[in-house]
Parts: sequence; C-alpha cells; structure tokens
Amino acid sequence: MSSKATDSHTLNSLKDLLLKPEQKQIQRIEKRLDDPMIRANEISNALPDAISLSMMGSDKLPRAIQPVIDGSLKISVQKNPKAYADAIFPALGPGIRKAISSTLMGMIQSLNQALNHSFSLNGLKWRYEALKTGKPFAEVILLNTLVFQVEQIFLIHKDTGIVLEHVVAKDAIIQDPDLVSGMLRAIQDFVKDSFSTDSDDDLETLRIGSNRTVWIEKGEHALIASVLRGTPPLDLRIQYQELLEEIHLKSSIALANFDGNPSPFAFYREPLKDGLKSKAKTDKIKISPLLLCVFIFIFALIFYWGFTKYQNHQIWQGYIARLESQKGLILLSTKKKNRHYYISGLRDPLAHNPDDLLKENEKRQIFITSHWTPFYSLDPKFVIQRARLILAPPSTITLSLSGNTLYADGIADQMWIEQFKRISVTLPGIDRYNDDKIQNTDRHRLVAELKALSDMRIYFKNNRSRLVKGQEDFLNQVLQKLLVIQTLQSRTSLSVQIIIFGHTDSSGTEKLNLKLSRNRAEKVFNYLLVNGINPAFLTLSGVGTQRPLANEKTLDDRRYNRAVSFKTFYINSIRGNL
Amino acid sequence: MKKKVCMLGAFAVGKTSLVQQYVHSIFSDKYHTTVGVKIEKTTVMAGDTDVDLILWDLHGEDEFQHVRLSYLKGSSGCIYVADGTRENTLATALNLQQIAQNTIGDVPFILVINKQDLINQWEIDKKTIDEIKKQGIPVIMTSAKTGDEVERAFTILTKKMMEK
Repeated sequence: MSSKATDSHTLNSLKDLLLKPEQKQIQRIEKRLDDPMIRANEISNALPDAISLSMMGSDKLPRAIQPVIDGSLKISVQKNPKAYADAIFPALGPGIRKAISSTLMGMIQSLNQALNHSFSLNGLKWRYEALKTGKPFAEVILLNTLVFQVEQIFLIHKDTGIVLEHVVAKDAIIQDPDLVSGMLRAIQDFVKDSFSTDSDDDLETLRIGSNRTVWIEKGEHALIASVLRGTPPLDLRIQYQELLEEIHLKSSIALANFDGNPSPFAFYREPLKDGLKSKAKTDKIKISPLLLCVFIFIFALIFYWGFTKYQNHQIWQGYIARLESQKGLILLSTKKKNRHYYISGLRDPLAHNPDDLLKENEKRQIFITSHWTPFYSLDPKFVIQRARLILAPPSTITLSLSGNTLYADGIADQMWIEQFKRISVTLPGIDRYNDDKIQNTDRHRLVAELKALSDMRIYFKNNRSRLVKGQEDFLNQVLQKLLVIQTLQSRTSLSVQIIIFGHTDSSGTEKLNLKLSRNRAEKVFNYLLVNGINPAFLTLSGVGTQRPLANEKTLDDRRYNRAVSFKTFYINSIRGNL
Repeated sequence: MKKKVCMLGAFAVGKTSLVQQYVHSIFSDKYHTTVGVKIEKTTVMAGDTDVDLILWDLHGEDEFQHVRLSYLKGSSGCIYVADGTRENTLATALNLQQIAQNTIGDVPFILVINKQDLINQWEIDKKTIDEIKKQGIPVIMTSAKTGDEVERAFTILTKKMMEK
C-alpha cells in the first residue's frame, strides 16, 4: 500500500518534472483563450495586418463585411443623420455645383441650337422625332446638329502624370503622348496652385482657339483627358466620367499601386476607343423651302428695290434733261434726299409748266418738291410772247422782234398805237419800238369822213335861208358825221378845219347874195354848234355866187347852188402816218 | 515601363543641358519660366526591359523662384544636380533632397555633380564628395558638355528604381 502510494507520488513528481513546462504553457493558452480581454487585445493587434493581407489576396473580406457595414451605416444614419449630412456635405457640394453648372451649360447649348433650327425643314423633321421618342426637342436638335471629332483620349495616372493608355482618331496629328500627358498634368497642377483655393477645384476644360477643347475628367487616381474638335455634346463628357468611374471601380488597386507599368490598363483600350466619337458635317446643304421662300422674297425685294431705284433715277434724269432743254426755266439746284427729289430754279411765267413735263405715271413714281422763283426771260421767244400778252395787239397787227427793237406791222387804231409806243419800251428785253409799218385806222376813217363831208350839200329855199323841205335829215346827217369827225380827230394827231360855205344862185344882186349865203352858212353853223360841235373846227363863209356848186345851164340848175357845202382841211399836228 | 523622374537643382547647374543629348522633347525651354517645369523623355535599358523615364525638368531653384512641390508628386526617382564649380549648388541640391523627401517620402535618387570638364575650377573637393558617398548617396560626376557619365547616371537611377 505504502509502495503504491510512493509509486503514485513518484509518478506525479516525474509527471511534474517532465510535463511542467508544457502544463504551464497549456495553462497560459487556456487563460488566453478563456480571458476575452486578452483575446480582444491580441485580435486588435493582428486585425490591421489581417485586413491588409486579406485585401491583397482577394475581395473576400470586403464581400463578407459589406452587409455588416451596410447595416451599421443604416443604424448610424438613422440615429444621427446630421453628423452624416455634415460629413458628406463637403463632398456633395462641389458635385452638385458641378452637375448644375454642366446642366446649365447643356441647356444654353441646346437653346442656341433650338433657336437656330426652329424653322428649317430639318426642324420639322426633328420635332416629329422628338414627339415620337419623347425626348426634348432641343436634345434632338443637339444630337442631329453637333459637328465634332474626338481626336485623342488619354488615360493618365493622376500622381505621376504617366500615360496609362492613349487612343487616337485615325486622322489626328499627335505629339508624344507621354510628354503631352506629363505637361498637361503639370499645367493642371500649375493652374491649381496658382488660381485655386478649393482643393476640389481643378482645371476641367481647356479651350484652344475657337474650335478645339480639352476636357479633363478627374478621378481619385486617374484622369481622362480628351482632345476634341468642334462642338461635342455634353453627354459625351458624362460618358467619359462614367468610364473613369468604371476604371476606378475595376482597377482601384492597380491604380493605387501603380509602379510605372501601364500594361494592366491595356484592357481599357477598347472602351476608350469607343469614346473616340465623331460626327461629320452633312455634305449636302439642304435648304428648307421656307428659307428658300424667304431668300426668294428677299431677292425679289432687293430686285424690286433696285429696279425701282434705277427707274426712278431714269425718270429723274429724264425730267432734269427736259427741264434743262426748256426755255424760260433755269435750274439752280437739284438734290435727292431719301426717296424725295428737290428742285429749285427760276421760271418765266410764260414758260412751260414744269409739272407738265412729268407724265402721270412718273408723277406717281417719284416725289418731287420744286420751288420756282419767277423771272423774266430775255429769250426772244419770251420777249415777243410777253409783248403780245401785254400789248394785246388787234388781229390786224403783227409784232416782231429784231434785236431789242419791237416792230409792229398792220392796222391799228390810234389808242392801241399810243399804248404800243408807251408800254413796249418798258417791257424786259425791249429797248426800242418801231411803228413805221402801223397803219392808223382812225386817220383813215377821219380822212374818209372828211371826204364824205365835203361831198355833202344842204339845200335851201329860193332867196331864203330856210331849208328845202326834207333837208333837215341831211343836216342831221352832217351833224352825225361831224360828231364822228370830232371824236376821231380827238384820237388822232390830225388837226381838222372845216369851212362851212354858204352858196346862192346867180339870180339877185351880188350884195344880197353874199348876205344870203352867209345867213345860210350861219344857219348850219348854229345848228351844229347847239348840237355839240366844237366851234374851233368850224369856220363859216358866205361866198354868194363866187363858188358855184353847179353850172346853171337851166333855171332848174339854180337850186343846186342854193346850198351849203363843206370844205375840209387837215394837218398833221405831230409826225404820223396817214 | 514608365517612370516619372524629377530633376532638381540650383539655378544654372546644367540640368537642361545635362539631358539634352539623350532626351526627346517637344516643348520649348519657355515652359521653365512660365509653368516652372518642362517635360522630357528618355529611354534607358535596365536589364532586359526598356524603361521610359518621363523627366520633369523643374525650374532651377534660386532665391526668387522655388520648386513647385506639387510637381514632385508621383515621382519614382529624383536626380539632384549640382555644379562642381559652385559649392553652394551642392548645398541647394542636398536641401532640395530633404524637401523632396519630406514631400514625397523615400524614393531612389542620385546626386549628379556636373561640369566635370571644368574640374580644375571646382569648388567642391573630393573629401566632401566622399563624405556624401559615405551617407549612402550615389554621387556621379558628369559633364553635360562632353556627355561623360550622363548615360550612366540615368542607368544607375533606373536600376535603383527597378530594384525598389
């Protein structure tokens, strides 16, 4: 029994001796496993390395913890939304700003295009397309009209500026992409350093001349820079941004660990090539009928305008020529202001009416305002015309002009002749007159009347100074003649004298006869006197038998000498014509 | 393989002329003064791989103009250039190395002391160079004028970058 106990003790001692270190180790391990604090401490030390290792190998870990993260994010956001809002605001703000500005840019672009294409045939076609597809009209226009070409696209590693991939359009001329990309990156840094205060502000667009643009889309590790010519649609930019996002999603590790070897990114060559879009200008220039109509209308308008202008010019020139050729019209100035023509000049009242030189249809076509100042033309035509108008010669008179002398030829009465002499020299263009060829009608008549009077006899009763019955009429005729003579005499320059001769027949004594003849002459004289004949014309004389009016061959012949006869004289008081 | 390499150094140490015979450039020197950098490219054989060095030739550091640190970002290596005939350019180069290291961390680099053709006018003595070498900084003395050692400088840096 005691040996058994001793054996057991020895075994235990041996066990202790042999296994003590292991036991202690086991105890320590047990303690480590049982104590959660120690375990947590150990795991916390190993976790970062474990995660790093896991990330390097595969995406198993992210996949595994994704639901956990999603869940905890959800709870956290629900619990304290403000903290998240504050946290994502700096990231969201620039993004929203960018989206708004690019939308606005797009809107302006579409508005421009829409305005330009509202009225073309294509415009109608596109309206139909917009209606059919439900897209905004402006967008349809944009899609159909933009002419552009993407020349090259660079996929650039952000930090190094090294080209990861580069695609070029067939006909684009390029420089070494590595150098261009490096410089582009440098310039971006330069611009950012020089002008930007916000770390998110970057050079996004470069404009080269009016036709070339460089778009730079920025990602965390890479950039896409596209060189474009023309007016590319902004949709394209979104496409590049999406491609860049895709690249980051698929190759974030390769991008983050980029060591200068671009071969892993060759994979993106095709997607980048897809971005090399272009839209060529349509070769055929289609003109919409409406536009054509507008052109034709404008052309017709211009033609009509030109033709009217030409026609008006012709009318104007013709009118001026006609005015210039007209006598009695002197043009002083002509001018044209807008559609109005102005004329000023001198016009003889006798000249042709200038208005009549324009035809009716011409008057309707051009507007002429004329101002004519009256004047006397010294043209012989007007001088003679004016003389005729003012002197109003009788039809028997012909007026003519030679030099500055006015000639009158024909028959006129004294009154007109006087007027002719008086007025003609006062007329413009006439210095002298010539009346040598005027025959004075009043003189002619006066002479004729005087002659007729000298043939008239008034017979008396035998041995008496009383008229033979029926001779009163003759006496009255004599009176009438003398009244005419008296009037004519006053109108001519002739001085008239009439001798009333009293006659007797041969019977009786000479003495008695003289007395009787005188009584007879006095009888007539008195009658004339009381009836208004100026006595200055009249002289009376009783000649008895001394101037017998008839030969007394028979007794009956004696009665022809019992009479009163008239002898008439006239002398020119001034120079005149008979 | 493509590597971004920054070339830094004081004003007029010959950075530009150093690489001129070996590089391909499409930009004029104007960029140095306007943007502060000019990008050039040269291809170096490292083992059996061709390595394109995208050289960012940064504007010479002087009292008026400082290097834009943002240009250093993403560099796989740096070449610091000093002018053997001007001792202060060496200080500038070492100073730039410190600045770059603070900005982009440890990247392979070499120190190039240029103008070996004017060795008798050098202000930097051999002792100084040896001390720098002792610190583990590879120093290569080149002559941009004759082209001596230039190619080797690029090759050494490329190898260092590839080893990393």
